[in-house]
Amino acid sequence: MTSDYLLLSIFLAIAVVFPLVPLAMAWTFARLLSPAKPGKDKQSSYECGIESTGPAQVQFQSHYYLYALVFLIFDVETVFLMPFAAAFLKLPISAFFALMVFVLLLVEGLVWAWAKGILAWK
Amino acid sequence: MTNILFSLAPESILTITALLVLGLGVSVPNSRSLITSAALLGGLIAAAAILLFPMDANLLHGMVVINPLARIFKLVILGLSLVSVVFASESFPKNHFAESLALILFSTIGMMVLVGTEDLLMIFLALELTSIPLYILAAFDKESSGSAEAGLKYFLIGSVSSAFLLYGLSLIYGVTGSTNLLTISQLSGSPDSLLIAGIVLTLAGFGFKIAAVPFQIWAPDVYAGAPTAAAALIASGSKVAGIFILARILTTGLGHWAGAAGWGQFEPGWAPVLALMAAASIVLGNVTALVQSNVKRLLAYSAIAHGGYLLLGLCSANRESLTAVLFYVVIYALTTAGAFGVVAIVEKQRGGSRLEDFDGLSKSSPVLALCLLVFFISLAGIPPLAGFFGKFYLFTSALANGQHLWLVIVAIAMNAVSLYYYLIVLKHAFVLPAPDDIRPANAPASKILVAALALAVLALGLAPDLLLKPISVAGKTPPHIATSTVPPNDQ
Repeated sequence: MTSDYLLLSIFLAIAVVFPLVPLAMAWTFARLLSPAKPGKDKQSSYECGIESTGPAQVQFQSHYYLYALVFLIFDVETVFLMPFAAAFLKLPISAFFALMVFVLLLVEGLVWAWAKGILAWK
Repeated sequence: MTNILFSLAPESILTITALLVLGLGVSVPNSRSLITSAALLGGLIAAAAILLFPMDANLLHGMVVINPLARIFKLVILGLSLVSVVFASESFPKNHFAESLALILFSTIGMMVLVGTEDLLMIFLALELTSIPLYILAAFDKESSGSAEAGLKYFLIGSVSSAFLLYGLSLIYGVTGSTNLLTISQLSGSPDSLLIAGIVLTLAGFGFKIAAVPFQIWAPDVYAGAPTAAAALIASGSKVAGIFILARILTTGLGHWAGAAGWGQFEPGWAPVLALMAAASIVLGNVTALVQSNVKRLLAYSAIAHGGYLLLGLCSANRESLTAVLFYVVIYALTTAGAFGVVAIVEKQRGGSRLEDFDGLSKSSPVLALCLLVFFISLAGIPPLAGFFGKFYLFTSALANGQHLWLVIVAIAMNAVSLYYYLIVLKHAFVLPAPDDIRPANAPASKILVAALALAVLALGLAPDLLLKPISVAGKTPPHIATSTVPPNDQ
């Protein structure tokens, strides 16, 4: 028991020291050797995609949220249909009916959303 | 498989009805009466299925348990939900009307599953199935900011309380190694700290659900802001289901760890926690109700106080007090559903539910005022109405083991206080003169239903045995005998 925790604490100590050493070395070399000359190119984020434009907090239509919900119907359906399809030949007939009920429930959700006009972009 | 289908027939019928109502909502959206009658018909068929084919069952290791007591409460819940369907049919906004009825039915399915299970996981799932439609219903009136506020508050506090409850139940499962209440009850010995934490968290979760102090903060805003038919369901049906399952968890599952809540002789367990919550609810609910100017908020504080009376009954944890609690919660639900019905009609006539909106109700609509009198006098607990006998049985059964005298003294003193604010409403209705600008309310079905509920409250006051005897007989069957249709080797 005690030796387990001893091993863990050694592990923790190494885990802390290991990243700190190169960081300290990099900082020391930078202070000793490199002159401080910041510039536009040096400050830019290197290889992180194109420069961003405009504010980050733009407004977008909350309508997307309804699409995401309706998409979930298909998403969940696929997740359950895949294992069913894989084991289809070994399953009894009742499993088929159970799954049909499940699919019909999801279809009613979709039909309801459609009839309510949720799929029409406003 | 077929057993499951037959035991869950009422719930399945309600599910099909709710889906049918949704379908009607998109095919004939303007026919309110057709949609309402479809929902009512489905509910009546489900009730007939319970009445005509009574069967006892214990399936999937206690996940689905049907016994006489569960059947009685499924019927009660079904009845209360049909009452709020009728209120909704005459007061809900025109937009998305079918969806509102479907949500009431979905919530009812959750409550019915809730009273028919002895498994912690199913209890949690059914509670969520009950709560989520209620969150939406509370926010259903899109043109009222009060309704949006009610929905948001109910949703946020409700989901936090579900997290408490789930954590508590998972600790109980972790300590006992089972989610089945009967298996949990077979363990005994002194509770360890983990189990106590689990019990306290579970009680906190249920405290939120039934609005007991100190978890009551959501109730007044939700009762006042939600559409009145939704508030009626939150106050009646979900309260019945919540108290029923709390009683089942505490007495069936955790009966060994009750502890004691006598004055000066506390022993650790759930009873002292419950006793403190009960005393605080009774005092705070009744005293705060005194200063309310809106009848719906007043009913909310009265609901907090009545939640306290019910917890008081649960503290004793013997069979008589359990019967008394279950009897009282049904009486309370019928009365409060009726009171909300009166409020819904008055809102239609006068456009609000402030105390002044009840001025001169006895002149403008005498029958409605009489029903209001019956409901409020029953809530205050004056004979010969049902509320009196409910409180009488509750207090005598709490006194039976001699420990809870202090709680009963608090309850009776505060009950005297409660008379004041119920009578204030009645003074507005019977003594003060009526204003001139009263619109005629076109709500015939609600009026008939309110009158029927008032008659039921009167009848149960004159002959309490009508309800007390079935509950008492059904409750006498010990759970392990009532649910013994599964052979022992099935475990």
